Amino acid sequence: MNEQPGDLTRRVVQDDQPYLKIRDVSKRFGSFAALDNVSLDIFRGEFVSFLGPSGCGKTTLLRAISGLDIQSSGTIEQDGRDISLLPVGKRDFGIVFQSYALFPNLTVRDNVAYGLASEGLPRAEITKRVMELLTLVGLPDQAPKYPIQLSGGQQQRVALARALALSPGLLLLDEPLSALDARVRARLRGEIRDLQGRLGITTIMVTHDQEEALTMSDRIVVMNSGRIEQVGTPSEIYGRPGTPFVADFVGRMNFLDGQILDDTRVDVRGATLTVAEAVRFDRGTPVTVCLRPEDVVVNGLDGQQTNRLDMQVGVMEFVGSHFSTVLHAQGTSLNVTADLSMNDVRSLGLVAGRSIPVHLPPDRLKVFIHPPRA
Amino acid sequence: MSLSVSAASPTQTGPLRQEVSRDDLMMRSGLLLCGVLLTVFVLLPIAALLKKAVENRAGDFVGLVNFERFLATPALMQSIGNSLFVATTATILSTLAAFLFAYGLTRTCMPGKTIFTLISQIPLLAPSLLPAISLVYLFGNQGIAKGALLGASVYGPIGIIMGEVFWTFPHALIIITTALAISDGRLYEAAQALRAGPWRVFWTVTLPGARYGTISAMLVVFVLVITDFGVPKVVGGQYNVLATDIYKQVIGQQNFQMGAVVGLILLLPAVVAFVIDRIIQRRQTAMLSARAVPYMPAPHSMIDRLFLTICGVISAFILIVLGVALFASLAKLWPYDLTLSFRNYDFDRMDGGGWASYRNSLLMAGSTAVLGAAVIFTCAYLLEKTRGFAVVRNIIQFLALLPLAVPGLVLGLGYIFFFNNPANPLHFIYGTMAILVLCTIAHFYSVAHLTSITALKQIDSEFETVGASLRVPFYKTFLKVTLPVSLPALLDIAIYLFVNAMTTVSAVVFLYSPSTTLAAVAVLNMDDAGDVAPAAAMAMMIFATAAALRIGYYFASQLLLRRIQAWRLR
Repeated sequence: MNEQPGDLTRRVVQDDQPYLKIRDVSKRFGSFAALDNVSLDIFRGEFVSFLGPSGCGKTTLLRAISGLDIQSSGTIEQDGRDISLLPVGKRDFGIVFQSYALFPNLTVRDNVAYGLASEGLPRAEITKRVMELLTLVGLPDQAPKYPIQLSGGQQQRVALARALALSPGLLLLDEPLSALDARVRARLRGEIRDLQGRLGITTIMVTHDQEEALTMSDRIVVMNSGRIEQVGTPSEIYGRPGTPFVADFVGRMNFLDGQILDDTRVDVRGATLTVAEAVRFDRGTPVTVCLRPEDVVVNGLDGQQTNRLDMQVGVMEFVGSHFSTVLHAQGTSLNVTADLSMNDVRSLGLVAGRSIPVHLPPDRLKVFIHPPRA
Repeated sequence: MSLSVSAASPTQTGPLRQEVSRDDLMMRSGLLLCGVLLTVFVLLPIAALLKKAVENRAGDFVGLVNFERFLATPALMQSIGNSLFVATTATILSTLAAFLFAYGLTRTCMPGKTIFTLISQIPLLAPSLLPAISLVYLFGNQGIAKGALLGASVYGPIGIIMGEVFWTFPHALIIITTALAISDGRLYEAAQALRAGPWRVFWTVTLPGARYGTISAMLVVFVLVITDFGVPKVVGGQYNVLATDIYKQVIGQQNFQMGAVVGLILLLPAVVAFVIDRIIQRRQTAMLSARAVPYMPAPHSMIDRLFLTICGVISAFILIVLGVALFASLAKLWPYDLTLSFRNYDFDRMDGGGWASYRNSLLMAGSTAVLGAAVIFTCAYLLEKTRGFAVVRNIIQFLALLPLAVPGLVLGLGYIFFFNNPANPLHFIYGTMAILVLCTIAHFYSVAHLTSITALKQIDSEFETVGASLRVPFYKTFLKVTLPVSLPALLDIAIYLFVNAMTTVSAVVFLYSPSTTLAAVAVLNMDDAGDVAPAAAMAMMIFATAAALRIGYYFASQLLLRRIQAWRLR
């Protein structure tokens, strides 16, 4: 989680007009609002992820966009056309489900050709297009097989080829990778992203996996309880979470209770911390200070005076790529979870119980006025 | 249902309505057609029966006069008591035997489970008349084992109960076996780890787990017995039960009003049992978690031997009943000339319709299987996949399950009242093969419907969505994907319908005409006329046909799986 993908991702050329315009979309089941006045613009060629916990409304929003379950109110425009009330068959999208929904009794070829055949294309042309599509997803030699004879990752790619067969304007991916094991998932993330980039097809992916969203998307829409919490690039979402929910949901986060002292300083459980962002709250206002575990600095502190604390190392938990531990600031009741790199642990000879100087970078501290969890 | 397209104006209040697509329109029309069919062939006949019960012979409304007359007739009241006694006793015996048999099959390591399973299914392939006729040969006035009854007559409750236990045994067995088979092996391991003895385990784990299944089996058997009229007709003697009363009132005395009243009374236990069973099944589904591990019985020489004996005795009883019917059908003149001959199979010499009735039965069962499987599966598909239309779907759901609560005799009687009415535009099907087929489909609709729904629920629900997103009309996806994938279930349904159409007597006994006599009805009529051996012969023909079909289907499905269902194999 240390890489900051923001600089690496391809910037989408934004038209003046968004390709998909979602306005005030709500979905109510009785008194329960699965979607609560959601408005969102998605631009041509963009890869957008809907990220959130189950029940946050991300799937409901996707189903409204696809016409599978239309919204209770609000409008959706695609490419300048009002599609709010259109049935599924009259919209323009391809879809890949978590289950892939490949037709088990049809070969890979016939699955991919399924939509083409009913378009009335000549046989030779269908065969040509199927081969194009299968080559595109890297399965040119699997055409005569049945889905059950393919691996999960291969089935996933066939489903993708089938969804792209009619060259839809919009590609919808409903948790496309969650049925696969971790290794295949990581590989397919790159492949799908690469394919999407080459085709330039506007894509929406629903996922509950933050890593998936962070690595694949141009923009992420973080959702919670039927509302949009934040829309932004992966680096914005990760580095500058707009709400405590986003801070908590994406990546790991220390939530530290504190009180405002003045414009730049906060008292956190007996420790005085300086924050880079000026806070304009009254003195004494209860706040939550957020800090990612990997942002805690334990090495190269020479001359560093701000937010320098003497802390005691707690139990060291070996996670593989790094150690996770809880640091306790002496003379206060402040505990901070920290990820310590193998290098730091080795060079400083860190063991549980030792006291070390620790730096909490002011520009990494984020202050929220409301408590993080309801 | 308004099909107009409402515009998405921002001023609009209330939930938005999606534009109705051509697919939606077609599916809804199809569903409506299903609703109309179910209404005409299930609901209206039953309504006609209700109406008839409150009319006099002239057709005027008389309120509950018919019911008063029924209550004032001691012989009819006696039938209620008799029916309840016979049904209760047969239910207890049949369920007990089925439970022991099922326990042997699922919870022990006794040998010969396959052969026991095969033998246990024999009664399903024959009309209920067959065991009754066998009992006459075994324990009747000239029976070979008459002495075993210690002077008691087989004609009466004893014969009825024995025949019904034989006939209902596989029904109870299937339900209880299923209930015992789906048990969590971990529960047994936990009980053992807590040092519970075998009896403790049986009372605290096995029985509670099979409780719902056992109750469900008892309900099914009770309704089968109380509404069956094949067995009491043959061995009932002077012992009247409700099912034979209807037959006597309608066929014997042409008293349709009283027949309707008895029919309604017969409907009562069936409906009550149906409702209880539905409630139980809703609970049963929550019993087994997805993480359960199937129970594997461990060998135990004493228990295995005990259940081998029990299952052996029950199987022997089934084989004897079948064997006696077979032998009686082949013996020249029981019990005087036991040389074998096919004389009794020369049906054209007897009353009852001769070989024509057997051919009619084949035609009727074949049509029922093909037409029924197609209609029932399509309706179930439309019911599952149609979007919106909640009210119509709920009504059809109810109508599809209604036949489960309606005894065949009652349905058949309703058909007379409804279709024999000259004012009915469908009056022309009365007395034809068509009405027999339609009535039989309606009679066995629910089980086939539930099988279809189960099969459809196992199919990925997103197929239609994918199809729609690729702009393929739903009927193409239905024909190209759903049907092929559901083929095994579809064939199961067709076989189920065929076998039941071959063996059923209850509904069709009121509806056949001289040109459409059926094999099972011929068994009844030949037995009635004293041609008991030919009746046994015809019953054997039915059994042989059903058995041949089942065996043929087994091998065909193996072949089918290899050939056109290759996609199921890795």
